[in-house]
Amino acid sequence: MKLRTIASAALAALLGAGAALAEEEKQVNLFFWPSYIPDELLERFTKETGIAITMDIYDTNEALLAKLQAGAAGYDVVIPSGYIVPTMIQAGLLQKFDAPSLPNGGNIAPGFADPEFDPGRQYTAPYMWGTTGLVYDSAGTDVELPESWSVFFEPGPLSGKVAALDDEVEVFNAAAYYLGIDKCTEDPREGQQILDLLSAQKPHLLLYGSSGTIDRVLAGEVTMHHIWNGAAHRVRKARDTARYIYPKEGITQWADNLAIPTGAEHPENAKIFIDFLMKPENVAEITNFTGYMNAISGSEPYLTPEIAADPAVNMPAEYADRLRPGRECSPAARDLRNRIWTRLKK
Amino acid sequence: MGFLEVEAVSHQYAGTDAQVLNEVSLTIQENEFFTLLGPSGCGKTTMLRILAGFEVPSRGRVTLDGQDILRIPPWRRPVNTVFQSYALFPHLTILRNVTFGLKMRGVAKADRHGAARRALDLVRLDGFADRMPSDLSGGQQQRVALARALACQPRLLLLDEPLSALDYKLRKEMQGELKRIQRETGTSFVFVTHDQEEALAMSDRIAVMRQGTLEQVGNPSDIYDRPSSDFVAEFIGDSNLLNAAPDSQGRLCLPGGRALGIRGDAPARVMIRPEALRIAPDGNLSGQVTDLVYSGAATRFLVALDGGEETVQIQQTSTEAAGISMGDKVCLAYDPQQLWVVAP
Amino acid sequence: MSTAASVAGRRRAGLAAPAILCIAFFMGGPMCIMVFVSLVERAPDGGVIWGNFTTDAYKQFLFEENLLGETTLNADYLRIYLRSALLAGFTVLATLIVGFPTAMYIAMQHPRRRALLIFFLSLPFWVNLLVRNYAWLLLLRANGLLDQAAMALRLTSEPLNILYSNTAIAIGLTYSFLPLMVLPIYAAMEKFDFSLVEAAFDLGASRWQALMHVIVPGVKGGIVAGCLLVFIPGLGSYVTPVLLGGSKSLMIGNLIETQFAAARNWPFGAALAFVLLMMVMAAALLRAALLRKSRRAKSSNP
Repeated sequence: MKLRTIASAALAALLGAGAALAEEEKQVNLFFWPSYIPDELLERFTKETGIAITMDIYDTNEALLAKLQAGAAGYDVVIPSGYIVPTMIQAGLLQKFDAPSLPNGGNIAPGFADPEFDPGRQYTAPYMWGTTGLVYDSAGTDVELPESWSVFFEPGPLSGKVAALDDEVEVFNAAAYYLGIDKCTEDPREGQQILDLLSAQKPHLLLYGSSGTIDRVLAGEVTMHHIWNGAAHRVRKARDTARYIYPKEGITQWADNLAIPTGAEHPENAKIFIDFLMKPENVAEITNFTGYMNAISGSEPYLTPEIAADPAVNMPAEYADRLRPGRECSPAARDLRNRIWTRLKK
Repeated sequence: MGFLEVEAVSHQYAGTDAQVLNEVSLTIQENEFFTLLGPSGCGKTTMLRILAGFEVPSRGRVTLDGQDILRIPPWRRPVNTVFQSYALFPHLTILRNVTFGLKMRGVAKADRHGAARRALDLVRLDGFADRMPSDLSGGQQQRVALARALACQPRLLLLDEPLSALDYKLRKEMQGELKRIQRETGTSFVFVTHDQEEALAMSDRIAVMRQGTLEQVGNPSDIYDRPSSDFVAEFIGDSNLLNAAPDSQGRLCLPGGRALGIRGDAPARVMIRPEALRIAPDGNLSGQVTDLVYSGAATRFLVALDGGEETVQIQQTSTEAAGISMGDKVCLAYDPQQLWVVAP
Repeated sequence: MSTAASVAGRRRAGLAAPAILCIAFFMGGPMCIMVFVSLVERAPDGGVIWGNFTTDAYKQFLFEENLLGETTLNADYLRIYLRSALLAGFTVLATLIVGFPTAMYIAMQHPRRRALLIFFLSLPFWVNLLVRNYAWLLLLRANGLLDQAAMALRLTSEPLNILYSNTAIAIGLTYSFLPLMVLPIYAAMEKFDFSLVEAAFDLGASRWQALMHVIVPGVKGGIVAGCLLVFIPGLGSYVTPVLLGGSKSLMIGNLIETQFAAARNWPFGAALAFVLLMMVMAAALLRAALLRKSRRAKSSNP
C-alpha cells in the first residue's frame, strides 16, 4: 500500500512536471480504518471525478495520531474518532475546510452539525457513528424491558444471563450515566459510588466479554448483552426477537469523522472526496456496507430495508437527546477509572 | 532336587516367531558357580532375565528352593543381578547405591549402613562410600555393582557379562575376585559370558548354549576334554577335528589310510587339542608346516597332513619349536588317550 | 595446548557474536526501554515525558491516596499478582500430573511411534491460541458439547456451568501448556537409561519406589525445565482468562494491557511488566539454584 502510494506519487510528479501549478494532480490519498468503505463506491468516485485513489490502513486512533505527529505526510483524508479530534486540532494536525460550506455541506444532520469536539464543523465532516447500549432477546424475557440501565445493573430475573463488555471505559460510562455522575469525574467519592454499583452488579453477570458477543446472544448463553450497536444489528438480522435499548439515562455515542491533515498535498481533491461522501445516496451505500449509521439527512430512502427498519442502526429521532458523545477524560479521571476497574476485578 | 530348577523353559518374544529358548532344563546347586556360556544370540541373557524376573517364559517352570518363582515379581525375588552396564544410579553416592536394595526393603538406616560397609569391604572399596559413580573407574564401578547386589544377601546372584567392559588385566584380576567372593559368601552365582576362557577359569559347572538350546552341561574339564559336539569342541578353545572311518580291522583311520591308534565301528569325528600334538621324529602323522605364529611362550603351527585335505594346528613351547620354519616336513606324535571321538 | 584452546575459544566467541549481539539488541534493548519508561513521568495523553525521572509508578504498585489524601497500602495489585502466580502454579502442577505419564509413555514406545506421538502432541501448536480457546469455549459453555455429553450419559441433569470460572481457566491453561511440559520431560526420558529401572526392581523397589527414587531424579532436569516453561507463560497468560474465565478477575497480563490502553499510564504499565519480569527471573534463579545443588551433591568429595 505504502509503496504503491510512493510509487504513484513519484510517477505523478514526473508526469506532472511543468504542468500548471494551480492545477492539482488527479490524486487523493486516504488513510482509513479497514473495511470501512465499499470498493465500488471508490471506483465510482474515480469514474465521476477522474481523481485516482490510494488507501492505507490503520487500526487505532492512537496510531493515526502518532503517525501525523511524526509528520508522515502524503495523506489527504484521515478518519479520526470524535474524542481525539480536539487533541489533533490543538496540535495543529488538521486543516480548516469548513464542511458546511461544501456543496453537500447542508446535508449534515442537525444533531451532527455542531459537535462539542469541533464546533461548527470547521475541521471535520461526519462519517459513520454508533452507540454502546444493550441488546436483549425478548423471547427470553416474555416482556419488553424498560429503556433504562436499571435492567443491566439490577437484572433481577435475568441474573446470570447478562454479559457486560470487557471494556473499562464502556462499563464505567454506563454506570456513570445510570448514577447521573460525570463520566470524566475526578472525585473519588463519586468513583466509590460507581464501584459500589459495579461490585453489586458483578455477581449477576455471567462474564465480561468484548469478543463473540453476537454468538453469545444467539446461542442463548446470555439473554442480555452490553453491546456495540453494529453487533446488535447483526444479532437482529439472525433473531428478530432481539431488541436494542437506548437507556434513558444516556448512551455513549462514538462518531468517526473525515478530516484533512495539515500539509496534505491534494486538499482540493480531499474536499471533493469529502463532499462526495456527504451526498445521501453515496453515504447510504457506506451504511449498507458497514452496518453503521451515517449523519447525512436524506440518506434513509437509499438504505436497505433491513437497516432502515433496525432501530439499533437507524436510531429513531426521539432518542437523539439520550446520546452522550465519547469524550477524552483527564489523566486524573482516567486513573480513578482504572483504579475502580482494577478493584472491581482484583 | 536342586537348589534352582529350570524345567523345559521355552521363550519367544511377543510379536516374533524366533524361539529364543527351546525346552531348556537346568539344575543348579546351592553354593555353585554356574556359567551360561555361548555366542551372542544363544539365549543365555534371556535365561538370566527369566531368572531375574524381567521376562516371563512362554512355557516351562522355574523353582528356587522348591518354590515356583515365575509368578513373583523381580522386586520380591531373593535374586539380585550384576548388570553388564553396571546400571549404577548416577544421582546417588556409592553408599546410597549399595544401601538402595536394603532401603527398598525397609531395613533400618544403621543396619543398612553396616551391611553396605561390609559389602564394600568385600569388594575392597571401603573409603569410596561418599563418591559419586561418575568419579569411579570402570573396574571400581563394577565392584560397586557387585557390592550393591551382595548387600541384599541374595540366595542367587546373577551376573550378566560383568567383566566384558574391563581391560584384559583387570578382567583377570576380577575373575579371581569373583571366585573369592563367591566362596566367602557362599552364594550361588549364575554367570553369563561368551568368553570360554573366563568360563573355564571360574566355573564349577558350565552350560554351553547354542540357538536357544543346551548343547552340553558339565564341569570345565568335561567341556574342554570331552565335548559332546563339534560346536562345543570348536567353541571351547582351539581344536582339530578330523574325519575318520574304521578300516576292516575296526581301527579308525584318516582318509589317507593312516590309523589313528583308536578303535571304532562307524565313521567318526575325532578331536585332538593343538597342545596334545607334538613335533617328534617318530610321530605317527606327517606333514608340511604351512603357517607359524609366534606368541611368546608358545608357537602355533599349521601343518598340512600328507595324503589328505586335513590341516591341523599344533602348539609347542617356543623352545620346542626352535629351528622349525615354514615349509619344513615334520612328524607329529600324540598320546592316543588324548583323542576324543565327538558324539556323531 | 592452552593457546590452541584459547584460539578455539576465540573462534567460538566470534561465531556466536552475531547471535549474542542480536539477543542483546533485540531483547536487551526493549527491556532497557521498558525499565526506563517505568522510571519517568507519564505524559497526560499517553506516552512519557523523557527525562523527568520519578519512582511514582513503583509507589503506585503498593500505595494509593485515600479520600483524605493520605497514602495507604493498596493490596489490589499484589492480589492480582498473587492470583496469577497461584494460577500459574496450579497449571504447572496439573500439566505435570498429566504430562509426566504422557512423556513416559511416549518415551517407552518404538522410536517410529514416538515420532508420530510427538507430532500429534505438537499438532495443537499449529493452531492459533485464540482459536484453540474458542474451541474450549464451545465445548465448555452451558449446553455445549461437554454438557450434552454429560447429560446424555446421565451424569448430570443440569448444565455444569464450567465456562467463565477459574475451573475453565485452569482447563484452558493446562491444555494450552501441556506440550511445554511433556516435551522437555520426554527429551530427558529419551536419554534416561531404563536399565536403571530394572536395576531398581532387581534391588527390591516396587514400581512406585522405582518411579520416585530412580526415574524422577533421573529426569529432574526435564521436569524443572518443563515447570519453568509452563510457569512463565502461565504467569503472563492473557487470552485464556479473558475468554474462558469471563474476565471477572484480572490477571497480570490483562492489568498491564489496561495501562497501555484505557488508562494510558505507560510508566505504571512498564513498572508492572518489570515486576513480572522480576518474578520470572526469581523462578529462573530458583531453577539454577536447584540444579547447582544437585550438581554439588554429585561432585562432593571428589
